[in-house]
Amino acid sequence: MTEPSDIAVMHEVGDRAIAWLHHNQDGFRPRQDDTTSDFEVKDRLKPIGELALIGKVLFREGVAGSRQAALTRQLLDNAWRDLLDGGKLLTWMQEQEPLSPIPFEIYVPFHELGYEEPAFEATLRSVHMLESWSAMETPPVRRLGISAFERRFGLPRSITTERATAATWLGRRPEPWTVEMNVGYAVTHTVFHLTDWGENSGGLPDELAEYLTQWLPAWVDDWLDIGHWDLLGELLVVDACLPTPALDPVAWRAFAEAQLEDGAMPAQRGSLPEGRREDVFDALYHPTLVAAFASVLATSRAMGDLRAPAGSGTA
Amino acid sequence: MKQLSGAVHDLASELVSALRGGDHSVAGTTGSLGGDEALTVAAARTLGADVLLPSTLLRRPAPEPDVAVCRAAVHAYPPGPQSSPTVAWSHWAMERALAHVTAVPQHTPSAAGPLGGAATDGPDTPHPAGNGGPDVTALREATWQAFTHQLSVLAALAVPGADSAVAAEAARRPVDVSRGFVRAVRRRDWLQAAGAGRWLAVIDGVPPTLGLDAGLRFVLRMGGADARVALHVHAALLMRADTPYPAAPGRGSGT
Repeated sequence: MTEPSDIAVMHEVGDRAIAWLHHNQDGFRPRQDDTTSDFEVKDRLKPIGELALIGKVLFREGVAGSRQAALTRQLLDNAWRDLLDGGKLLTWMQEQEPLSPIPFEIYVPFHELGYEEPAFEATLRSVHMLESWSAMETPPVRRLGISAFERRFGLPRSITTERATAATWLGRRPEPWTVEMNVGYAVTHTVFHLTDWGENSGGLPDELAEYLTQWLPAWVDDWLDIGHWDLLGELLVVDACLPTPALDPVAWRAFAEAQLEDGAMPAQRGSLPEGRREDVFDALYHPTLVAAFASVLATSRAMGDLRAPAGSGTA
Repeated sequence: MKQLSGAVHDLASELVSALRGGDHSVAGTTGSLGGDEALTVAAARTLGADVLLPSTLLRRPAPEPDVAVCRAAVHAYPPGPQSSPTVAWSHWAMERALAHVTAVPQHTPSAAGPLGGAATDGPDTPHPAGNGGPDVTALREATWQAFTHQLSVLAALAVPGADSAVAAEAARRPVDVSRGFVRAVRRRDWLQAAGAGRWLAVIDGVPPTLGLDAGLRFVLRMGGADARVALHVHAALLMRADTPYPAAPGRGSGT
């Protein structure tokens, strides 16, 4: 059972992170001015995709509180209408790079929230029928992600979840003492895709849940010690997706203490970004989004445990 | 101190050699190398019961010089009232190992330490877990990180059929020790990893996904230049190759 004071620590992290994201939302703008190249615009769609995926979860989780939900809804509204020009920017990129899954990955969470761009969907359906779409060479975890977005959007699957999962690092459950940083991110994203970014923890196969329950504490300890808050945040998300999350108070307190005064979460201990506002934003937006994500899921799980009747096995 | 660490390294190297098939007297060889008996005794106290490990694992009589140096170490460095449970346990393990290899029926290990009851059983009397030997309360209450660290320091107690209270605690928490092994490898703390790996070789319930055998070989490859690392890993590999052993108290329990 997580103590109420520990839940408060978790909740506070997200509250402050969302406030920072809302305050700094202009940093997500793909085209800052006329000098922004098309390449840069496409590159800057990635943060919007992450905002959409995580923002959707933040918005849907009632535990975030009405103020958080309202701020998040504003963020998503602005992102769709202003930053993505009502979806037209996604159509533009899709026309330039028909086989890129990026616009599709960004579109899905917005579509699930009720936003639509019919022209985008028409092109997507025609491209998706191509053999080339399924044959695209991508890392296994990315392929799993594309498969998951196809499922979420109702498209025929280019690969089953089982086959896609089996090809990932996590799917093979290798020696846990070999986890380096890139492996860590592959593990977290495998879990994100299997659980629809925390919305459906039942999507995690039992054997992977067991594997993660056994080894995640060691990895949390490791990246806590290293002070890599970005990956630690993602690992705390994974924890909150497990059947019996640890919700480790030591890790959460350290995570909360790493958060900056204004609510931003630095990527690593001792590395505060400086310089142009855009560069500072680029260094901070991802760990801050992750902090909000971890906070809202962990708080939700902890509150659920508080509400669960005694003996229900969720403590 | 440098002298002592060199002597420890030499003695541990001899033990590794003995475990790998040599059949000479460990202490005799080391003594002849350094020629400093006091240093050899100090090194023996540092390695504790492992001085007699070849006899224990290979089931053969202990060479008299090894028994003598072990006995000298027990007498020269008795734990005091302020000694930590770790020191007390290490001392207890040496007395126990001596009792086993000499197997003199009337031999009775002396009072083991400041924190627990005396080990009053004879060497052939089964020891129920928790009876005899120093206190394990702190160990029992330790986080998995501290637990693994402490166990690793006491890796000399990880022997086949171990019946100490420390072994019983280890047997109760296989997943915690496994996590500690992961942590130690990630930190490249090869000595701790080797000690934890040695415990994992004698307890049940280790998750198969840990990849213990590959992990032991990895630790040996990366950290084996330290003879103490090599000693723990070779002990673990020998014990892994020679299972099953008589069950330790509490074996097979979960986390």
